[in-house]
Amino acid sequence: MKTLIMISNLNQVNLKCDGVIIGIRGLSVNMPAYFELEDLKNIDKEVFVCLNKNMHNSDIDYLKEILIKLNDYNIKGVIFYDLSIPNLTKKLNLNYDLVWSQEHMTTNYNTINFWYDKNIKYTWVSNDITLREMKEIKENTNAKLMVTLFGYLPMFVSRRHLVKNYLDTFNLKDDSKINYMEKEGHIYPLVDNNETIVYTDFILNGLKEKLLLNYDYIVLNSFLIDDDKFSKVLDIFNNVNSDNVDELDSELNSLFNNLGKGFFYNETVYKVK
Amino acid sequence: MKPELLAPAGDLERLKFALLYGADAVYLGGQLFGLRANAINFTLEQLKEGVEFAHSLNKKVYVTVNIVLHNKEIKFLIDYLKQLDEIKVDAIIVSDLTVLDLAKKHTNLEVHISTQQSTLNYEAVEYLKDLGVTRVVLGREVTKEDIEIIKKVGLEVEIFIHGAMCASYSGRCVLSNYLTNRDANRGGCSQICRWDFDLLDENKNIIKGEKNFTFCSKDLSLLKHINEICDMGVTSLKIEGRMRSIYYIATVVNIYRKAIDDYYNKKYVYNSNYENILSRVANRDSIVQFFDSNYGANCSYYNDRIEVSNQDFLGVVLDYNKDTKIATIEQRNYFKKGDIVEFFGPDKINTYEVNEIYDEDNNLIEIVRHPKQIVYLKTNFELNKNDLMRIKVDK
Repeated sequence: MKTLIMISNLNQVNLKCDGVIIGIRGLSVNMPAYFELEDLKNIDKEVFVCLNKNMHNSDIDYLKEILIKLNDYNIKGVIFYDLSIPNLTKKLNLNYDLVWSQEHMTTNYNTINFWYDKNIKYTWVSNDITLREMKEIKENTNAKLMVTLFGYLPMFVSRRHLVKNYLDTFNLKDDSKINYMEKEGHIYPLVDNNETIVYTDFILNGLKEKLLLNYDYIVLNSFLIDDDKFSKVLDIFNNVNSDNVDELDSELNSLFNNLGKGFFYNETVYKVK
Repeated sequence: MKPELLAPAGDLERLKFALLYGADAVYLGGQLFGLRANAINFTLEQLKEGVEFAHSLNKKVYVTVNIVLHNKEIKFLIDYLKQLDEIKVDAIIVSDLTVLDLAKKHTNLEVHISTQQSTLNYEAVEYLKDLGVTRVVLGREVTKEDIEIIKKVGLEVEIFIHGAMCASYSGRCVLSNYLTNRDANRGGCSQICRWDFDLLDENKNIIKGEKNFTFCSKDLSLLKHINEICDMGVTSLKIEGRMRSIYYIATVVNIYRKAIDDYYNKKYVYNSNYENILSRVANRDSIVQFFDSNYGANCSYYNDRIEVSNQDFLGVVLDYNKDTKIATIEQRNYFKKGDIVEFFGPDKINTYEVNEIYDEDNNLIEIVRHPKQIVYLKTNFELNKNDLMRIKVDK
């Protein structure tokens, strides 16, 4: 099981991990930071480039340019949400792997196998399903699987500038790089940049679950986590085993007061009547 | 070619109203795999009846199979798709591509790609075309220029023209999952985007405007642009709202039917009365949204969750006796002697002053105040079953 980190700055490339997930400015969402293609040079680890925004027609020329340039980089794969990417990589005969990552749709092995048959050999599995479902997926696919086990989770992406709209409507001023929204004591990080993104009020803690999942990659997200703490988190995840898991889980809990288990043990409902 | 007018049908009654009032096709959910899990939805028997009714009018029925699937559901899916095929539904609407794959392998069903995929560009549409999809329902964020570019791929294109908007890209919101445990992408959306929140700055101090912070968006109405849309050659024009009332469905469908027909009969002029009727039937403001690329602050809806429903919808005509000229009316909202009202059907509107009202015991009454109360009115114009009665809307 390899560990990938979603980096907030290029210094984090030097942390003890197997690889990094990097967002590219203008083509990525839900990333802790966005980089230029040149920043990928000299990274001697596995690099997955995350081009996961919803692409509009106006994005296609730039997307195409980046996809072609990436063919000359030593990257492991491109993570995609929008179906323009498998179309372009097929037409352009590009030779890196693709990772299917329609974040809230990667929820069953049948669809993962559908993509596998289309030569898309990796899937980034959703956090909206239970641990049991995650295990079933592993048992029923040959695809290489990645799953996020640490970090704030994105819950919402909008084309609209929802913070700016509010400020404009009521003639308010605020230059915050990040905002929050609060309801009944729950505070959700909110980023209005190219899109508006909302994150969970908790940091997913899948330390114990790492030992229960036999996935190819686990992903740790550094969004809103300071560098020192993230480095400790990475050490904890790197060193965890069945003998020390309780001790390290306590250590992790001492670093943060808002860790959560998400849907690992809690299935969502959809029929309420 | 004249675009298809596509209406929502939450149940069999609404299916019939939608088709009778001018829709060319309806979309609906069965009791499995649809994104409105808490609507009434259709049993297979009802679905069969609905399909037969639609086909008898030379119209179409599309069934949503657009939830995001979990492992445990896959085993039920093939049988369900085969049943839909046997019933002869005209297409299924899917977001999870495994449904497309299984439909292709096991049925002859046509497959439309749901707006849940948020398809917004020509490369993605080209990919879907290669997969054997016959139509794509574009994401609500497309502009007029986007649609024109995407049309060139040569796949059928469907766009939303009227109704509520998701604040997020469709498919990319799980606020409902995390805040209420109800799965947004499996039909349980609890519409968190309409909740009020406190907005905080980076130091977690409240930023307070005159109204509360919310993601709530105004509704969509493209009536103003219907002539341009007809010119663009869009295949299908979709009205949102499977949970809406028969009155809403009939009214909205009927207005768009008239606007489209006006255009093709070369009688099109922007009709502010149509807009007025549409605005009265909704309980929220509507604007053009992304179509004209103008989706700034004016799209947001800061109303402190106050949504006013009017009482325009007065009754449904259950029967009309041509000999006695007596209409049997089922009441839906309060009306009284002296009110100026309109009866409207698919092809006609009649203004009427309420005069003599008789109840079921043949007593002359002056006020109709009880929900679903049956009353009798005499009219000097002919009415039809399923005509609707509303207050007169001023031009």
